[in-house]
Amino acid sequence: MADGGAPLRTKPRPISGSSLGEAELTAVRGVAWPAAAERSEAPLAQAVRRLRRSTTALVGVAIVGVLLVVAVFADVLAPQSPITSDQTHTFERPSRAYPLGTDQLGRDMLSRVIHGTRISLLVGVSSVLLALFVGVPLGMIAGFYGGRIDTLVMRVMDLVLAFPIYLLAILLMVMFTPTAGLIGTMKVTGAIAIVRIPIYARLVRGSVLSIKEKEYVEACRALGVRDPWILFRHVLPNCLAPIIVTTTLGIATSIIVEATLSFLGLGTQPPTPSWGWDLKANVAFIQANAWLSLFPGLAIFLTVLGFNLFGDGLRDALDPRLK
Amino acid sequence: MRVYVLRRVLQIVPTVLMITLVVFVMMRSIPGDPVVALLGDAYTEEDAVKVRAAYGLDRPVLVQYVIWLGKLVQGDWGASILSGRPVLQDVLIRLPVTLELIVLSMGVALVIAIPAAIIGALRQNTWADYTATTVAMIGVSIPEFFIGVLLLLIFSIGLGGLLPSSGWVYLPGTCPTMVCGVSLWGNVQHVLLPAVALGVGRAAILTRLLRASMLEVIRTEYVTTARAKGLGERPVVFKHALKNALIPTITVMGLQVGFLIGGAIVVETLFAMPGLGTFGIDAIIARDYQQVQGFALLTAVAFVVINLVVDLLYTFLDPRIRYA
Repeated sequence: MADGGAPLRTKPRPISGSSLGEAELTAVRGVAWPAAAERSEAPLAQAVRRLRRSTTALVGVAIVGVLLVVAVFADVLAPQSPITSDQTHTFERPSRAYPLGTDQLGRDMLSRVIHGTRISLLVGVSSVLLALFVGVPLGMIAGFYGGRIDTLVMRVMDLVLAFPIYLLAILLMVMFTPTAGLIGTMKVTGAIAIVRIPIYARLVRGSVLSIKEKEYVEACRALGVRDPWILFRHVLPNCLAPIIVTTTLGIATSIIVEATLSFLGLGTQPPTPSWGWDLKANVAFIQANAWLSLFPGLAIFLTVLGFNLFGDGLRDALDPRLK
Repeated sequence: MRVYVLRRVLQIVPTVLMITLVVFVMMRSIPGDPVVALLGDAYTEEDAVKVRAAYGLDRPVLVQYVIWLGKLVQGDWGASILSGRPVLQDVLIRLPVTLELIVLSMGVALVIAIPAAIIGALRQNTWADYTATTVAMIGVSIPEFFIGVLLLLIFSIGLGGLLPSSGWVYLPGTCPTMVCGVSLWGNVQHVLLPAVALGVGRAAILTRLLRASMLEVIRTEYVTTARAKGLGERPVVFKHALKNALIPTITVMGLQVGFLIGGAIVVETLFAMPGLGTFGIDAIIARDYQQVQGFALLTAVAFVVINLVVDLLYTFLDPRIRYA
């Protein structure tokens, strides 16, 4: 250990050439192995090929793609403002002027559903990424160094996991006091991210525990490679597959959690358009205006379905054993 | 085994203490003060100080927690700050409603999922399998409240008010107060839609998990052996395959309890049911500290106990698993 960091926990073993696969050898800095360069690309190419063969995964990719476009170009796509109310046109039935009708404030439902995509995707994606950026390093450090750090990190994670997730998310949102606009969205993102951090920490710690015993990590240490380099260059890429799958499927879950919080009145506050909130607000008028709560609900369903299909396809493509 | 069970039961105590402590501290760090809400327009600083003293809210948070715990041990769950009603009494009134909802929804989930998963696995890659997996995929992607809204649209509005859209009628003999609707048929009518709304999502998750593990199990050698020795398909599927396929499924279902609690809150809100879910969310939003504590305590205990039961179920399902 050049930096005098972690002591070797494993018994030193002689490194024999045959114990290193060709693909692993390319991972060791300074070892050139021209033929292996192509083969080490293989798993990724293979995964892409498998993904492209799965119809359901492609449907998922298509749905997610369309939603991303809608979210980015919401201002252009929405025929009207999602916020401005028009008291002369309340509860309009779906028509050419208002394809999805208007709500009790005379706001165009189509525009609200289109703009709602932003909140849903923003919260879904950013909460999962936030959880990933905090959870993955925590899990790596806990798994790689073990000992007291491991115990401390995992105890805290266990405490979060000991909570029923909705109880914690609801309490966090009440603590943050829900507001409208970007700040309100960030609060929801934070609350959902906190709930999701332990999922990553556990997942990564588990993978790291087995990876750090591998010969190529030992080889790195023998070569005097520093810990951060080992962690990010050699350990992380090898536990990437489950992380990617968890992330994609996690976005689906986060979108449901966001919609649920909004439904309970604890998400992003009005007038910011949010599907969960719109659905809840319009349930009150369900008797006479059934379509109003239908469209936000369908939008949530479609978005979650897209990420679920994509995630399922990715899982099958990245690790056929997980099927 | 007995030692293991005892150790696990004892572990419940620190976990529940931790959860209730965290909830306690979180609630008191929330902006907004229940005393202000209680006094309303008549708020004066003097009265507020008196009320805070009366409820012990002027003490340090940790002292308040210890006092709460001390009373809890004696069976006193405290009283609501806003209504003055004993928390334990309110919780007990609402518990049966939520229990009925959750038990029935799990029933709905099992009734749908077990046959769907078995058919899907045994006839892999046929139209029956595709139907089961597609429906399950749709099921995991719909939030409970949207299923609830769809059910409302179909059964309470579309079919001429076949089933009620909100409210509750108690089972005979469970009416907690002097006045409430009591009838078996009325109860069934009121619980049906919420139970299905909550159960469908669980059914979908269960189907996917169970189908996947059934697929793995029916390819194992002991299933081939069972078939080779001439055992009928029924005992092979139910006694050999299903029982083993249930092991990983049950783990995940145990973890799903956290989602089930959220689902109950949402479904009860949608159908305006007087259950624990609506009690909890109302209490949290009103910052009624004592009620929130009671709700958190009950939820935490339920959560931990169910996870313990799941662990213990393993030994029944897989006798190879022995705990020291």
